Amino acid sequence: MADLTTDLGKMMLKNPVMTASGTFGYGFEYKDYFDLRELGAVVVKGIAAFQSHGNPTPRVAEVTSGMLNAIGLQGPGVDKFLHGAEYMPFLRSSGATVVVNIWGKTVEGYREVAERLEADREGIAALEINISCPNVKEGGAAFGTDLKLAAEVVSEVRRVTTLPLITKLSPNVTSIVDFARCVVDAGSDMVSLINTITGMAIDVNTRRPKIANLFGGLSGPAIKPVAVRMVYQVAQAVKVPIIGMGGIMTADDAVEFLLAGASAVAVGTAIFADPYAPLNVIRGIGEYLDRNGCKSVREIVGAVKVR
Amino acid sequence: MKTGEIITNRLLQDEYYRVEFYAPEICRTARAGQFVHVRIPNLEHRILRRPFSICNCTEDGVLTVVYKVVGEGTRALAGLAPGMACELMGPLGNGFMPPKDGEYPVLVVGGYGSAATFMLSQNGGKGGLVLLGARSASDLLLVEEYRRNGFDVRVSTNDGSAGHKGLVTELLTEAIRENGDRPVRFYACGPTGMLYAVAKMLCARNLPGEISLDHLMCCGVGACFACVVKVKDNNADGWRYARSCNEGPVFRAAELYLED
Repeated sequence: MADLTTDLGKMMLKNPVMTASGTFGYGFEYKDYFDLRELGAVVVKGIAAFQSHGNPTPRVAEVTSGMLNAIGLQGPGVDKFLHGAEYMPFLRSSGATVVVNIWGKTVEGYREVAERLEADREGIAALEINISCPNVKEGGAAFGTDLKLAAEVVSEVRRVTTLPLITKLSPNVTSIVDFARCVVDAGSDMVSLINTITGMAIDVNTRRPKIANLFGGLSGPAIKPVAVRMVYQVAQAVKVPIIGMGGIMTADDAVEFLLAGASAVAVGTAIFADPYAPLNVIRGIGEYLDRNGCKSVREIVGAVKVR
Repeated sequence: MKTGEIITNRLLQDEYYRVEFYAPEICRTARAGQFVHVRIPNLEHRILRRPFSICNCTEDGVLTVVYKVVGEGTRALAGLAPGMACELMGPLGNGFMPPKDGEYPVLVVGGYGSAATFMLSQNGGKGGLVLLGARSASDLLLVEEYRRNGFDVRVSTNDGSAGHKGLVTELLTEAIRENGDRPVRFYACGPTGMLYAVAKMLCARNLPGEISLDHLMCCGVGACFACVVKVKDNNADGWRYARSCNEGPVFRAAELYLED
């Protein structure tokens, strides 16, 4: 059996498969399905310094080979996350490798949540800075589509924590490569991509948008080729480890991302179809490596043959 | 993952179907008001599961779901033959609390909401009342099955093609009046507008009721926050969004946040 150990520079994972933020709750919701230690890492739903209602309903719409969502970062806020039984205390006791996704409405908001987590960091392996949620009016995408703001957020967070930092990039920009370079220069240890692609769906009978927020983020198999292309481009441009995601349903999908240059991957929307999807992907990557005579998953990172 | 082999899958009437799965593990613990989250096979461009209320569970492991063909997923489900299997997650969600000793159950249901409350009528012949509302006679489901379980059935239709012409909430007003001081527990499932109307009526009279309420669902277990409904909270706004899949789908009428 090939070695699945994944080296993300400042962070080692037992395997390269994480959950994508927002698709796996806080881990607690899936505790009856499998042991969370089987995952490379659990990436929790975005945490802000404050409690947040999120967007009005309907929040989701199924589309061909994917879905639109505009949940709007509903969340308990960092206090409850650190102390509520079904959040961080549960995750600590589960033994899972935990990545906390963070967001704010202002640069100070990002800093505040990072500070709070830094002060209570036991059991937290890394922070993922969400500068790419397309569904909140303040914060989120505003930071992920403006190079100056993106750099500001990352360097502010960098200033207050020594935890490994991942920055999650938005695909809704002209050049994702520019944003990758920018956040790495600002101190991000890794980048993750892609977040959802802004989309819209209309009910032809009622003539109303299918999502109350009007627009939603497209995820699922429909976006995978876009995501693989962006991972490839970013891998050519930056030296830091990349976590690739966007429409991974199977191990072959995950291997595509690894070949394109991702050191690890995240499974997201597929979890809604099958809670065991991340485990199937882990097993399937191992089988792929064995079948191809690879001793370690590291051998296939960036191994796409372009000519 | 649990799989349920299809035993029968038949047209019930109009666009309504009844499917029976062999799912003994789910049947062992399922209660009225809970649901199963079904992955429709051979429909790969539709990636999400479909949640269905559990209509019935037998001791020998037969799980019944009554569904209406409303879109591509349910149309594909209707095309599945006995012997084929679906992946099932469940039983999920919080079901209805059975009536307390001495409480008389009154079920207020709209359309195929009558499936979600059906197991409440299996109370050992103690009986109860079910108020069944629908658009038209062809949308009334399980009438005979409720009668066989010893329940009084009263019917309303919007078009007057069966029973009282009007809304099921009008039948509810009458039932509340008739029952006077008798201890009653109300249960409701159906279209969202009807459910909020029922909840308002019960809350205004301080009557105990349980409402099965949901919204478009993805994960079914509380992870995605898609299916939220407003419930009362002691925060500054007086409400919060609760996940209907794992905090519901059954909510106490008194805990719902009712907007004007």
